[in-house]
Amino acid sequence: MIWQLDLSILTLIVICAFATIMVKDLLSAAIIFGAYSFLMCLLWTEMGAVDVAFTEASVGAGVSTVLFIAAVYQTTRKVGVRKSGRLLSKAVALVATLLTGLVLLIAEADFPDFANPFTPASLHLSPYYIMQTLHDTNVPNIVTSVLADYRGFDTMFETAVIFTAGLAVIAILRRFKKEDRCDLPEPYVISEAHPDTIIRFIARQLVPFIQLFALYVVAHGHHSPGGGFQGGVIFGASFILLAISYDFKMVLGIMSERWNILLGNIGVLIYAGIGFLCLLLGANFLDYSVLSKVLPATDKIMARSHGMLGIEIGVAIAVLAIVISIYFNIVSRGKYDKGL
Amino acid sequence: MPSIISDYNYWIYILLMMIGLYAMLAKNNLVKKVIGMSIFQTAIIIFYVSISAKEHATIPIIAHHGAAEAAIDVAHYANPLPHVLMLTAIVVSVGTLGVALALCLGIYRRYNSLEEDEIQEQLQ
Amino acid sequence: MSFAEQAPVLLVIIPLLSALLVNMVGLINRRYCLPVAVTGILGSLTASVITLIRVMENGVISYRLGGWPPPFGIEYVIDHLNGLVLVTISFVSLLAVIFSKESIKKELPEKIPQFYTLFVLLVTGLLGMTVTGDAFNLYVLLEISALTGYALIAMGDNRALVASFNYIILGTIGASFYLLGVGHLYIMTGSLNMGDLLTILPRLYTLNVVFIALLLILTGTWIKMAFFPMHGWLPNAYTYAPSAAGCLVAPLVTKVSVYIMIRIMLSVFSPLYVYNIAGLSETIVWMAVIAILSGSILALAQTDFKKMLTYLIVAEVGYMVGGAWLASSAGLTGAILHIVNDALMTLCLFIFAGIVIYKRGGHQLQDLAGLYKKMPVTMAAFTVGALSMIGVPPTAGFFSKWYLILGAIDAGRYHFMAALLFSSLVNAILFFRVIEIAYFEPKIDHHGGETENIVVDEAPLSMLVPLIIVALSLIVIGLYSGDIVTNIIQHSVPQGL
Repeated sequence: MIWQLDLSILTLIVICAFATIMVKDLLSAAIIFGAYSFLMCLLWTEMGAVDVAFTEASVGAGVSTVLFIAAVYQTTRKVGVRKSGRLLSKAVALVATLLTGLVLLIAEADFPDFANPFTPASLHLSPYYIMQTLHDTNVPNIVTSVLADYRGFDTMFETAVIFTAGLAVIAILRRFKKEDRCDLPEPYVISEAHPDTIIRFIARQLVPFIQLFALYVVAHGHHSPGGGFQGGVIFGASFILLAISYDFKMVLGIMSERWNILLGNIGVLIYAGIGFLCLLLGANFLDYSVLSKVLPATDKIMARSHGMLGIEIGVAIAVLAIVISIYFNIVSRGKYDKGL
Repeated sequence: MPSIISDYNYWIYILLMMIGLYAMLAKNNLVKKVIGMSIFQTAIIIFYVSISAKEHATIPIIAHHGAAEAAIDVAHYANPLPHVLMLTAIVVSVGTLGVALALCLGIYRRYNSLEEDEIQEQLQ
Repeated sequence: MSFAEQAPVLLVIIPLLSALLVNMVGLINRRYCLPVAVTGILGSLTASVITLIRVMENGVISYRLGGWPPPFGIEYVIDHLNGLVLVTISFVSLLAVIFSKESIKKELPEKIPQFYTLFVLLVTGLLGMTVTGDAFNLYVLLEISALTGYALIAMGDNRALVASFNYIILGTIGASFYLLGVGHLYIMTGSLNMGDLLTILPRLYTLNVVFIALLLILTGTWIKMAFFPMHGWLPNAYTYAPSAAGCLVAPLVTKVSVYIMIRIMLSVFSPLYVYNIAGLSETIVWMAVIAILSGSILALAQTDFKKMLTYLIVAEVGYMVGGAWLASSAGLTGAILHIVNDALMTLCLFIFAGIVIYKRGGHQLQDLAGLYKKMPVTMAAFTVGALSMIGVPPTAGFFSKWYLILGAIDAGRYHFMAALLFSSLVNAILFFRVIEIAYFEPKIDHHGGETENIVVDEAPLSMLVPLIIVALSLIVIGLYSGDIVTNIIQHSVPQGL
C-alpha cells in the first residue's frame, strides 16, 4: 500500500477511461481499453488483491481486448459523425450522471477511512476466514478457500454465468444455413496467402508452455494466487493464440464446436455433480467434508481441500471451453467458416 | 496517510462510474456504449477492492504454512471477502461483455451500422 | 437425508442439472430437449410445493449451503413470502414450457437445444433469486436471469436485436446499482447475509449512507421491473421476443424483481426504517400513480396487441410498487397477492398472444379479427384473463385490487385509489375493444349471399391445455384468495402497519 503509487495509477486509469470513450477509432478504443484493464491489474496488485488482479489480467486485459478487437474487425472501425438533434438526450444523460455522482459523494462522506485495518468490514466476517482457513480446510490461500468452500455456491453459479454467456452468444450469432440473405460483404480481405513464419513459429513454441502454466495455475491455486478461472482462461487463450497466428479452420479441427459445447457442459456438471454427491452422501449441498467417506485416506479437513480442487478443475474445463467458444462465434460472425 | 488521500480512492471510483454511465447513456455508437458498460463495472470493482485494502497488510495467503500454531494476525492480511466477490463480478462482466458484443455483431449484420440514430431511422 | 429436507436446494439444482442435460442431449437429438426440460421444471415444482407445505407447518426454514453457519456461509431462507413466489414461478414455467412445444418448432426450428437450455437456466435463476438469504448470491442469480433473458429476447424477429441491446445496457445499470447498494451496506457493516444485516443496521439508521444504499438497491430493482420512468426497455423487448420466451419472461421477471424489492424492504432494512425513518412512502406512491396512469394511457394508444399488453405490465408494476409502499398491511397484502395474480394473468394473455401469432402470423390488433368463431375455447380462456385484468369477481384480479384499494384507503392515499380505478376503467375499454374486434369477422366478399361455414380451427393441444389451466387457476385462486391470504400472506406482513 504505497499511496503515491496508488494515486499515480489511479490518475492514469482516469486518463485511459476518458481516452477510450472519446477517441474516434474503435480499434484504438479497444487497445486503450486493454491498457485501462492492465492498469487496473497493477492497482489491485498494489492494494493486495492479487487473485483479483490475476483474473483481471487474464480475463479483462486478455480476453476482453481480444473479443473487442474481433468484434471491431467484423464490423467497422469508424465511429460515426455526430448528427445534430441528440442534444436533449445527452443533456438528460448528463443530468442523470451528475445526480448519481452527487448521491454517491454524499454516501462517501460516511465511509470509514481507506486502508484502515479496523473498519467494520475488516472486523466482522473476514477475521473468521483468515484465522480459520488452515484449521477448517488446510488451504493457505484464503481467497481460494472462501471462493471454493465457504461461498462455493456463489462460485457454482458464477460458472453457470460464464456457461450461459457462451450459450447466449451461440444462440444470438450462430448461423447454420449456408446461404444467408442478410449477409454483408467481408469488411477486410483475409489474406490466406501469407503465412507469417516468425509469428507461427513463436506461437507454436509458446503454446505448450502456456498450457503447462495454465495447468499449474489451476493445480497450485491453493497455495498461490490462481485457481480454476484464471487457469481456464489462460488455457483457452492458448487456443486463441493459435487461431490468430495460424488459421481459424486449423484450430477448429483441433477443438471442434461439439467438443466445446460438451466440455462446457461437463465443466459445470463436475461442479454441480460434486455438490450433488455431497447431498447423496448425507450432508448439505457442497459440504465437502462428507467426501471423506469416498476418498481414500482423507479426513474431513483434507476432504475439503480435495473437494475444492475438484471443483476448480470443473471450473477450469468449463471456462476454457466457453472462452474458445465465444471467441469462435464472434470472430467468424457465427458462421464458422473463416475468421481472423 | 493524509486524509485527503484517504478519500481520493473513493472519489476516483465515483468519477469512473460517471464516465461509464455517461458513455452508456449518451454515446451514439453501440461499441462505445459497451466500453462504457465495462468501465462502469470495473469502477464498482475498484470500490469493493478499496474496502479490502489495509495499510501495511500483505496479500491474503497465509505465509506460515508449515509453522504450526503460528499466530495469525488479522490486521496483517488484506480482507479476502471482497476479493472473492469481485472475482465473481469480473467473470460476470466478461460474460455480459461477450453477449453485448454478440448483439452488436448481429445488429451490424442486419442494419449495416453501429450508430444508434442510423438504426432508429432504419426502424421507422 | 430426505427429499423434503433437501428440497430448498433441490428446487434450484434440479433445473440447473436438467439445463445441462438438455444442452448435451440436444447434441444428439433435438426431440429429447423438451421432455428433459419439462421433467426438470416438474421436479422443481414438486420441491417448491413440498417446501411451501413445510413452511406452512413448521415456520421459517433455513438451509446452510456447504454446511457453514450463516453469516460465514451462504444461507437459504424460506418463509411464507418466498415459498408462495417459488410455487408461482415453477407453476408458470411449467405451463410456459408446455406451451412452447409448437411455438418453437415454428419460430426457431434450428435453435431448439439452445432455446430450452436458456429457458431452464432462466427458471433456475428466478428460483435461485427467490430462495436465497444472501445479498450477493442474489446478485449472481440476478445476472444469470438477466443474461438468459437477453439471449432469449434476442432470438426473436428483426427488431429483437436492438430491443435486446437496449435491455442489456439498462439491465446492466440496474444490476450494477444493486451491487453498489450491497457494497455500501457491506462497507458499513461487514456482512452480506440478509438476517445478519437486519440485526446490525439499526444502530446505523441515522447515517446517510444507509439511506443511499436503500436508494441504490431500489433504483436497481426498479430498472429491472420496468417501474416508470425506467421502463423504456420493456415494451420493445417483450413485444419482439419469440412467443414462448415472452410467455416465460413477461409473467415472471418483473414480478421476481418486485419480490426482491419487498424482501429487501422487509428483511434487510426493517419495516420500521422503510416506512417511518426513510420518508420515501409519499414520493414513491406518487411515482406509482404516474406509472399506472402512463402505462394505461400508452396501452390505449397502441395498435399492436402485444405491445398493448406490455404497457399493461408497466401499469401492473405500478400497482405492486405502490401497494408495497403504502405502509398499510392491506396494501402490502394486496401487493404480494398481486405478484401471484399478475404472473398468472400475464401468462394467460401472453399465451393467447402466442396462439394468435401461431395461427395468424402477426400480433397487430386487426390480426384478432374473427377469432371468436374460429377458436372459441381460446377466446373463452382469454376472456377470463381479460376479466381478471379489469378486476371482475370472482377472478383473481378482483381480490388483489380489492386489497390494494383497502390499503389505499387505510393509508389515506386517495390518489392511489383513484389511479387503480382509472386503470380498471382503461383496461375495460382496452379489452372490450379487443373482444369486439375478435367477435366480428374480417370483411370477406360474400358471393351470392350464402352463409359462410365457419370452420373451427382451434389452437394445437399443447398450446390450448396450458391456456385452459391458467384460466381455470385464475378463477380457483380468486375463489380461494381469502384462504391464501389468511394462511400464507398474513404471516409475511409485519404486525402493526
